[in-house]
Amino acid sequence: MKIGIIDYGAGNILSVYNAIYNLGYNPIIVTESSKIKNFDKLIIPGVGSAFHALNILKEKNFIKELKDLIGSKISILGICIGFQIFSKKLTEDGISKGINLFNADIIPISEPNIFNIGWCKVKLNKEIAAKIKINDTSDFYFCHSYYMKNNSINENNNCFGFAKFKKEIPSLVIKENFMGVQFHPEKSQANGIKFLKFFLGWTP
Amino acid sequence: MDYIRIIPSLLLLNKKLVKGVCFKNFKNAGSPLSTITAFDSQGADEILIMDIDTYLDKKKEPDYEIIKKISEISSTPITFGGGIRNIEIAKKIIRLGIEKIYLNRIVFENKNIVTQLIKYLGGQALVIGINLIKIQGKYRIYEDKENKIDVLKHIIDIQNIEIGEIKITFVDREGKKCGLDLKFCKYIMNYIRVSSIFEGGIGSLDQLEDAFKEKIGAIALGTMLTFNDYNIVKIKRHLHNKGFNVRL
Repeated sequence: MKIGIIDYGAGNILSVYNAIYNLGYNPIIVTESSKIKNFDKLIIPGVGSAFHALNILKEKNFIKELKDLIGSKISILGICIGFQIFSKKLTEDGISKGINLFNADIIPISEPNIFNIGWCKVKLNKEIAAKIKINDTSDFYFCHSYYMKNNSINENNNCFGFAKFKKEIPSLVIKENFMGVQFHPEKSQANGIKFLKFFLGWTP
Repeated sequence: MDYIRIIPSLLLLNKKLVKGVCFKNFKNAGSPLSTITAFDSQGADEILIMDIDTYLDKKKEPDYEIIKKISEISSTPITFGGGIRNIEIAKKIIRLGIEKIYLNRIVFENKNIVTQLIKYLGGQALVIGINLIKIQGKYRIYEDKENKIDVLKHIIDIQNIEIGEIKITFVDREGKKCGLDLKFCKYIMNYIRVSSIFEGGIGSLDQLEDAFKEKIGAIALGTMLTFNDYNIVKIKRHLHNKGFNVRL
């Protein structure tokens, strides 16, 4: 299984790398967008500000290459900002466009901005929780102040996990071959490791 | 966040952990890697590491080698502080697997850097440290030797630049096991709308309970974890039994 971790110059790349490596795999750090189609699994890590991250992703042609992978056999996991790029529009530090897989916008949790930093209970779809082998309410680590707000009710059907922090925060979404998490599985101790195992075994 | 947080606070000096009293008289406190492995398996909510080599030698960059090793063994979120003087250093640290960076001195020397870091990393990745020291009954900022900065104004000002978290440290209580200054914590919490962490003085379970009773959301522990028989499992079980919302 070829696992790629997209390196776009922002993010805790090695945290994700180490988590996957410690599961017994040899992930490859991918810096060139033209190569992403050569993998079975792709992970887009995320610690960063949206505008800056999107600029680099665009500059390096990752946005287009990722769009081309919608509906393909490659399973893709986006973490935090790496997940937020699945949306239509992001609003942190200015407006930027995502890959538009979800009819959703990334907006602040509240104004003035507040931050959700720490561990939250995520209420998971029962079937998915059973596949991950964790309880349907399980703790994960969050560190964000923007969240995904769906523009259409239909998108709610693609949401398989919610956390509550002032609002309902979509925390696990799945659409086509894309899976996105608002939390950081690479830093969520035992639950995070189980989640990453689940992703690596997931066929869309 | 649904839970209160217990955060081990570790000081790194020449590749070893140390612990002192009131930021002085550092004693060897063991190996960083084995200590972090232990806190990770005990379910620490986060881990905070300060590289104090960079405080003693202002030109020194953080110890990247040890950061890399820490990141390899920890599945707990890590905040790293010390020697982060520019964006390149900050990016390098985050890339090595650190989730948040802790800034202190640079905030006074070059506020511009904080704004720039937010542009690259986002406010959620920044923890701003405020070290307090009580002089003649009044709190001052430890680094502000000329007493020019008003503590409350500073707290309000830095929140206006969209940082995610503030860490308040009571320097003159640190390592003394006398508890936090809860009266002052309560007072400043009225002005803090971002996430906050408090440290300095906690040495017993009772003091920890008292602090959480005042609705403090996160506490960093140094001495209590380093030189005592407490571990995070024990502490969290105790708090859980007392009805606090801790993650077990």
